[in-house]
This record gives sequence, structure tokens and C-alpha cells, in this order.
Amino acid sequence: MESIRETQKKYGSRAFALAIIVSLILILAGFKPVGKGLILGTFFSIINFVLMGESLPMRLAKTKRKTFAFSLGSIFFRHVILAIPVVIAIKFEEYNFFSVFAGLFLVQVVILADHITGLIFSAKNKGIGKI
Amino acid sequence: MDFDIETWVKVAAFAGGGIAMGFGAIGAAIGEGFTAAEANEAISRNPGESGDIFKTMLVGQAIAESASIFALVIAMILLFTDFNANSVVTVSVLFAAGLSMGLGAIGSGVGSGFPAGAACKGMSRQPKISGRLTTNMLIGSAVCQTPAIFALVTSFILLFTNFTGRPVSPTWAAILGAGLASGLGAIGSGLGGGLVAGASCDGISRQPLAATPVTNVMLLGQAVTQTTAIYGLLVSFILMFKTFPATDLLAPPMALLAAGLCMGIGAIGPGVGEGFTARSAVEGIAKNEAATADLTRVMLVGQAVAESTGIYALVVALVLIFVV
Repeated sequence: MESIRETQKKYGSRAFALAIIVSLILILAGFKPVGKGLILGTFFSIINFVLMGESLPMRLAKTKRKTFAFSLGSIFFRHVILAIPVVIAIKFEEYNFFSVFAGLFLVQVVILADHITGLIFSAKNKGIGKI
Repeated sequence: MDFDIETWVKVAAFAGGGIAMGFGAIGAAIGEGFTAAEANEAISRNPGESGDIFKTMLVGQAIAESASIFALVIAMILLFTDFNANSVVTVSVLFAAGLSMGLGAIGSGVGSGFPAGAACKGMSRQPKISGRLTTNMLIGSAVCQTPAIFALVTSFILLFTNFTGRPVSPTWAAILGAGLASGLGAIGSGLGGGLVAGASCDGISRQPLAATPVTNVMLLGQAVTQTTAIYGLLVSFILMFKTFPATDLLAPPMALLAAGLCMGIGAIGPGVGEGFTARSAVEGIAKNEAATADLTRVMLVGQAVAESTGIYALVVALVLIFVV
């Protein structure tokens, strides 16, 4: 399972580093609730990603019906955790709702960006190779 | 037992929140379950690659569950926000926001499971191209999320627009129709897009040399499958932003509600059908790259024909809004 841990570490740390840098800029520019919201959303997004990886072995080596039941249970459990920052953003004005929302998807954004930049660079390298 | 408007607003918010999260979770769970089941099969075929297969499954599932996180956010807004309870229109707005997001997350959740599952299986066949397979899977899955994003946009517009100046009748029906058009309209496109993306991951694993045309035709096929969701969004926007004259009759509000239902239900079939067409084209290109031009042409013609019923639904919905 080392491979999964490495993947979680790679994308989790990148997402958090990105959130910290962007939040610092936003806070220094005077958008404190937006910066705080982004950090809050990203933190819970990473927790969700880690829990998702930890629950993977429970979903494997089972029948399709059991896999579906475990998936549903896992989604409900992780969504309860993801609901925490959204409720905080709704109830407290110190956290901007839309930046919390953006933070919840930062891990997914980092995953997509990583693979798309990889694809672009490999295409460019192939082009250089041809020349 | 008498219910005042405040009670009805709370009822609508709770019902909308339940619908949003309930339906949203079902779509993602089916997609994730399918991915895990395919990963099982892949590991049994090639246990030596279980690490990479696990990793692909995790990354694929992370993208696949985006639609259910959209649903969660809408559900939380509905459950924990204090809404101004001064009009029956608010009741309709809250219920429609939940309907739009809940229904809109189903197709994308299930559809995103297809490329993730196919990538896991493909990795057991061709471990050397795992990077290319994962990238293709992620692009395909991300496009699958587009209809759910349309539904999310509709829900946000409903929740953050002030409808208080509008007449209660027929606005309540127009708002409900908007939620149905956008939510139901997203189901077919999400599923169809997933079918195409799944076929492309499968095709690349069978014929890695055809990866570029397979990915290109996948994107083209997916773009066409999204059009019926765009029709749903269009009808939804008209119903939300057009101000309809006040009426005491039952027929005008029913016409607007029917317009939303017509477009929403009418978009499901074409979205899935176009997905089948593009899936077979992508499979064909993976088998015979030389026939890419012919297969793409046949795919586009087939999709255009499958699209026609969606266009009929759009025309009838527009007639219901502007003529009846």
C-alpha cells in the first residue's frame, strides 16, 4: 500500500502548499475571510482524500453488491466530514463560503493539473525529439 | 393543523437538502462501486500491478465523487441557511435547487466510474502505459462532471437570485421547471460521456499506439453528448430569468412546469444514445486506426440523428414557454 500513501502525500502536500501560498497573498491583500476559507476547505479536502485511500482495502476483494454498499457507506461518512467546513462557512462570516467551496476541490484540481502538465510536457519533448 | 409560510419554507429547504444529497450520493456510490469492482478484476488478472491499480482507483474515485460534493454543498446551504420566508416562490426556489443538484449529480457520478474502472483494467493489460491511461481517465472523468456543474450553476443561481418582485403564479412553476430541466437534463449527458471515456481507456490499453486519435475522438464524442445538457441549461435559464405576467389560471404555470419536465426527460435518452455511438467509434479507432476519418464521420452522423429527439424536446419546451 506504499504507493497509495505516496500518492496521498504528493497531492495532499501540493494542495496544501498551494492553498497556503494563495491564502497568504489574499490575506495580505486584505481578503482575510477568503484566505481563511480556502485553507479551511483545502484542509478538509485533504482529510477526505486520505480517508478515501484508507477505506480502499475495505472495498476490494468483495462482491459487486458489497462493494457498492461499502462505497455508499464510505461516501456518507466522508461527506459528513466534508459538511463541517461548509456549515462553518455558512454560520460564520470570518470564512468566505465560495473560497471554502474552492478549497474542497483543490486536491482534484492539483491531480488534474499534474497530469495535464505531464501530458503537455511529454508532447513538447516528443516534438523536440522529432526536430 | 395550519401551516404558515415560514413552515413551508423550512419544509422545502429540508426536502430540497435531502433530495440533493440523497440522489447525489447514489450516483457517486454506483460509480465508485463500479470502479472498485473493475479494480478487483484487474488485480486478479495481474496481481503484480496491484499498487498502481490501487493508485489509479484512488485518483479516479477522487474525481468521480466531485458531483456528490457539489450536492453536499447545496444540501448544507439548504439545511443551515436562514431564508427570508415571505413568499411561496421561496418554497419553490429551495425545492428546485435541491432537485436540480440531486438529479444532476446522478449521471456524472455513475459516468465517471466507467473511465476509472476501464483504466484499472487497462493497467493490468498494459502496465507500461499507466501514466497515459491515468491522464486519459482524468480528462474523460473531468468532462463527465460538466453536466453536474451545469446543475450546480442552476442551483446557485436559484439560491442567490432575488425572485421576490415576481408574481407568485406562474413564477413558482417556472422555478420548479428550471430545476427539473437542468437536473434531469444532466443525467443522460453524464452517463453518455462516461461510456465514451470508458471505451477510450479500454481502447488505449488494447492499442497504445492509437492513443492520440482515441483521446481526440473521445473528447469530440463527449462534447456532442454534452449538448442535451446544454439544452436543459438553456431552458432552465429562460425559465429563471424571463419574467412571466401574473395569472390566476392554472394552465400558464402548468405549461412552464411541463416545459422544464419536457426538456429534462427529453434530454436523458439522446445523452445516453450519443454515448453509445461515440463509444463504438472510439472502440473501432483503437482496433483500426486507419479508419479514424470514416469512423468519426459515422459517429457524428449517428450522434446527430440521436440528438434529434433532444431537439424535439427543446422545441416543444420553447413552444410551451413562449406560445402556449
